[in-house]
Amino acid sequence: MNRPTGPIIPASDQIAQEEARWQQETRGPAMDGRPERRDPFVTQALKWPIKPLYTPADLDAVGFDYMADLGFPGEYPYTRSTRPNGHRTDFWTMTQVTGFGKGEDWAKRARYMLDQGLSGLILEYDLATTNGYDSDDPIVEGEVGRAGMALDSLEDLEKAFDLPFDKLKYLMSVCNAPQPVNLAMIIAALEKKGVDPKDFVLHIVNGILIEYTCVGRYIYPPEHGLRIATDCIEYIIRNHPNWAPISIISAQLQPAKANPVQEIAYSLSIACAYIEAVLERGLDIDTVAPYINHFVVNVDMDFFEGVCKLRAFRKCWARLMKERYGASKPEALKIRMMTSPTTIALTLQQPLNNIARLGIMATACALGGAGEAMTTPLYDEAHALPAENAIRVGAAIQHIVAHETGVAETIDPLAGSYYVETLTKQMEDAAFAEMDKIFAMGGALKAIETGYIQRALGREQYERNKDIEEGRRKWVGVNHLTRADEEREIEIFRLDEAMEEEQIRKVRDLRARRDQPAVDAALEKVREAARNGENMVPPCLEAVKLYATHGEICNAMRDVFGVHSADSQLMGI
Amino acid sequence: MTTFKRPLRVLLAKLGMDTHTVGVTVIGHALREAGMEVIFTGLKQTPEMVCAAAVQEDVDVVGISTLSAGHTRSLPKLARLLREAGAGDKLLVAGGVIPEEDKPILEQAGVDRIFTMGSDTRDIVAYLESWWAARLAEDAA
Amino acid sequence: MLQGAADVAKRLLAGEVGAGARAIRWLDDRDPRGAEVLAAIYPQTGRAQVVGVTGPPGAGKSTLTDILVAEWRKRGQRVGVIAVDPSSPFTGGAILGDRVRMSRHALDPGVFIRSLGTRGQAGGLSRSTQDACLIFDAMGYDIVLVETVGVGQDEIDVVNLAHTTIIVAVPGLGDEIQAVKAGLMEAGDIFVVNKADRDGYDATHRQMELMLHLRAQAVADLRWDVPLLRAAAAKGEGAEAIVDAIAAHRSFLDQEGDFANRSRLRAREQVLSLVRDALAARALAMSGDAILQQVEMRRLDPYAAADRILSALSEKSAAA
Repeated sequence: MNRPTGPIIPASDQIAQEEARWQQETRGPAMDGRPERRDPFVTQALKWPIKPLYTPADLDAVGFDYMADLGFPGEYPYTRSTRPNGHRTDFWTMTQVTGFGKGEDWAKRARYMLDQGLSGLILEYDLATTNGYDSDDPIVEGEVGRAGMALDSLEDLEKAFDLPFDKLKYLMSVCNAPQPVNLAMIIAALEKKGVDPKDFVLHIVNGILIEYTCVGRYIYPPEHGLRIATDCIEYIIRNHPNWAPISIISAQLQPAKANPVQEIAYSLSIACAYIEAVLERGLDIDTVAPYINHFVVNVDMDFFEGVCKLRAFRKCWARLMKERYGASKPEALKIRMMTSPTTIALTLQQPLNNIARLGIMATACALGGAGEAMTTPLYDEAHALPAENAIRVGAAIQHIVAHETGVAETIDPLAGSYYVETLTKQMEDAAFAEMDKIFAMGGALKAIETGYIQRALGREQYERNKDIEEGRRKWVGVNHLTRADEEREIEIFRLDEAMEEEQIRKVRDLRARRDQPAVDAALEKVREAARNGENMVPPCLEAVKLYATHGEICNAMRDVFGVHSADSQLMGI
Repeated sequence: MTTFKRPLRVLLAKLGMDTHTVGVTVIGHALREAGMEVIFTGLKQTPEMVCAAAVQEDVDVVGISTLSAGHTRSLPKLARLLREAGAGDKLLVAGGVIPEEDKPILEQAGVDRIFTMGSDTRDIVAYLESWWAARLAEDAA
Repeated sequence: MLQGAADVAKRLLAGEVGAGARAIRWLDDRDPRGAEVLAAIYPQTGRAQVVGVTGPPGAGKSTLTDILVAEWRKRGQRVGVIAVDPSSPFTGGAILGDRVRMSRHALDPGVFIRSLGTRGQAGGLSRSTQDACLIFDAMGYDIVLVETVGVGQDEIDVVNLAHTTIIVAVPGLGDEIQAVKAGLMEAGDIFVVNKADRDGYDATHRQMELMLHLRAQAVADLRWDVPLLRAAAAKGEGAEAIVDAIAAHRSFLDQEGDFANRSRLRAREQVLSLVRDALAARALAMSGDAILQQVEMRRLDPYAAADRILSALSEKSAAA
C-alpha cells in the first residue's frame, strides 16, 4: 500500500474530511441500522459525551500544544509528572489502610506495627474527640473509643506514646475541627517523652474547610474554622518546619459524588483559601505553597476520567500557583498527591469482584502518575477489622501493577492519546471556569458560607443515585448480574461499654486531681486569644500541659466562636 | 383550581454523632420529588429533640438515619418517647447501617420498618405511599 | 361539631402542643375539622403580636430568628415561629429545613416551631400561615414570628399578615437597592442590616439610611420613627435592640389604636381571600373547562369569560 505523502499528522481539515468519509463508507454501513448499546455514551461522573473516535483534529479543537500543555517531567506545568524520572528510580510508596484504631488499644497495635517494620502510623480518634467533646459528655454516649482513640487529655496521649520513637518516622493525626487542641496535645506529649520533633514528621490533616462541604466534622462557623486551621499551619511553618500542617483530602468529595471537575475546582480553591489566609500573616507564596500542596486523590472506575483527573490536577495546581500567586520555586509549583482506588466503587455483593476493580483502579492511578504514594483499600470492607488475607491481596495488587504490567516503565505513557489529551484539557478548562466562579464569589470560604458547594454536591448525589436506580449506570452485583441468593452483612464495630465506662472514670478522676484554678485561668487565656485573634496553639499548649481536657478547651472556643449549625440549604438538601 | 391533595409530612433526622449526609440528601430529594413535605431537623439530634419536633410539626412519618452503633439504644428510646407523647401512631422508619441481628430488637421496640443502606429510594417512596393510602382510608372510615 | 375538633380546640386553648399542631395540620390540609376548630378558638385571638421577618435569600433570616427567639425567652415571653419554605410547583413536595437553625430551642416548652410549605399559593405565603398565627395566638403565645421565603412578591404578603414587619438586608448581595424592593421600603416597620462583620457593611447601612430618609420625607405619616438596626446574627449580636424595637412598635400600635386596626385589616383580608378561593373553585366546578378552553383558543377574551362565569354563578344561586 502506498503511504500517502505529506506530513505525518495531516492538517485537521483533512482529517475531518477523511473522518466524514469513514463515517459514510465504513462505519455507517457496518452499523447496519442497529442502535448502539448506549444512548448517549457519557463518562461516568461528568456525564460528558464520548465520541466514537478521537483524532488529531480533536487536539486541535481543544487548542492542545505539547510544550505549553505537557512539557517534560519534573518541569512546569508538570502534567506528565512532578518527578523528573517518573517511577524509574523508585516506585511510589506503597501503603495500606490498616484499620487499627477502631476501639483497640492504639499503643499496643502501634508497637506491633513498628516491630513489624512499618515506620509510619496513623492516629484516628473517636467521634467524641473529633467533634470536640469529652468522653463523659452525655451527647457522645455510645461513641467513646469506637471509631478511633478516645483522647480526653494529655494523659491519654502520654500513655499511647509509649513507643519506640527511633523506629517511627512518620505520624499522621486525623483531626479537623479541634486541630489546635490536638496539635498542642501531640507537641506536649512528645516533649514529655523527650522526643526531638526534628527526628520525624508529624502530619496533621487539619482539613476543616472540606468538612463543611461533606462528611461534616465541624464545630465552629466556617470563618473561625479557617482561622484556627491557619493558626496551626502558621505555627508549624514557624516552629516545626519539617512537619506537614495539612492534608487536603480531595478524596472525601467522592462519596459526596463530586465529579472530577468539581473535585479539582473545590479542593484547589479550598487550598487557595488556606494559602491566602497564611499569606496574610506575612509569609510568601514560595514558602507557603510547599506546605499546603498535600492532596489525597482517588480514582473511580471510569478509567479515563481517573487518569485524566490526576494529570489535570498536576497541571491545574502548577498554573494556579504561578498565575494567581506568582510562585516560582518548583516546590511551590509541584503538587504532592497520595492516590488510591476509591472505596465507593467497591460492592458489598460478590466481594471477590472488588479485587478486579482494585487492580483496574490501581492501574489507572499508575498510568495517571501515582504520586508520592498509593494506598489500596481492602477488597472486602464489610468487615470492620481487616482480615489478613485482604491486607495481603491489597499489597499484592500494587506489586502486580508495579512489576508485572510495565505501565510504570516509561513516564506518562498515555500522553499523546487523542482521547486522553482531549479529556485532560477539557477537565482543566472546566475546572478553571468553576474556580473562576468561586473566586468571583469571594473564594472557597464564601462558597461554603453561602452553601454553593454543598448544594451542587447535593444535586449530584441525587442524580447519581437515580442513575443507578434507573439502570443508566450498570454496576455488577448491584443492578447487573446480581445474585438473588446473596445476602451479605456489614459488620459494624460495637461499642465496648466497659471501655467507655473506664474512659469516663479516667477523665473524671483527672479533673479531681489537677490544679483546677490553674486550668480555669488557662481556659480563660484560650478565650482571650480567641477573642483577640492571636494564634490559638500556644494558649492551647499551656492549657493541655495543665491537664485541661480536650472538651473543655473546645468549649472555651465555643464560648467565643459559637457553633456552626448548617441548615438544609447549606447541606445541599 | 386543582383539587387539593394532602401531602405526606416526613421528618428526617440523624441521631448521634455521625455526620454523613449523603443518605438523607438523596432520600430528602426523592421524597420531595414524590410530592412529600420533608422537615429536616438536622444533625446530632437526640431522641428528645426528634420527638419534640415530630409533635410540633405533626408529621406522619419519622425517618431516622443512623450510622453510629448507638441505634440499639436511641431508636427504642425515640419510639417510647413518641408513644408517651401521644404520637405513637406515627410511622417510625430507620435507615443506615443496621445489622440483621439488631432488626428484631428494633422492631420489637417500635420501629415500624428498617431500610438498610443501599435501599432503592423508589421502594421507600412506594412503601410510604401505600402506608399513607391505607392510613387515609382508615381515617375516612 | 365533629368529634375530634371539639377536643382539639379545648386542648389547644389549654396550651397543649400536640393539639395545636393537629389544628394547624387540619387547616393546612383544608380538612373541614380545621374550620371547626377555628370557629371555636377565634374569640380567643387578637392578643399575640405577629411579627414578619422577610428579606432576600442569604440575608440570614433563620439565624436572626434564632437569636430573636433566644432574646424573647430571656424576657420570659413565649414564642411561636412559623417558617415558610417554597413547595415545588411541579411535584407539590418541599424541603422545610429552617428549624435546623433553631435546634437549640427544640426542647424549650416556651417555643413552638412549625414549618409550612407554600403549597401552591401564588403569593408565596401559605394561606395556612394566617391560620397558624391564629392557633398560636389562641394558645397564648405572646409573639408569633413568621419567617418567609424572601423571593418574589411574598414580602408584601407578610406586610398584610403581620402587625410588625421586619425587613432584613445584608451587604454583598450585589445591588443592595434592588435587593430591597421599593414596596418594602414603604411597608417595613423595622429595618435590620445583618452580617455587621462583613465587608461593605457600612456602605449598605448608609444606603439604607438614605432610602429611609427619603421615605420619611415622602410619607406623610411620621408618627412611627422607623429604626435602622445593626445585627451580626451568626455571632449572636443585635437581638436586644431588635426585640426592644418590636416591643416599642407594639406600644405605638396600641396607643395609636393601630394594633386593632391592623388586626381588622388582617381579618378582612383573610375573609376576602377565603371568599375568592371558594368562589373561584365553585365557578370553575360549574362552568368548568369549556369556557376556559374558549379563551385558550382565542374565541373568547378573558373579561368576557369572567363575566360569563360570574353570570352563571349568580343564576345558579338565584335559582337555588
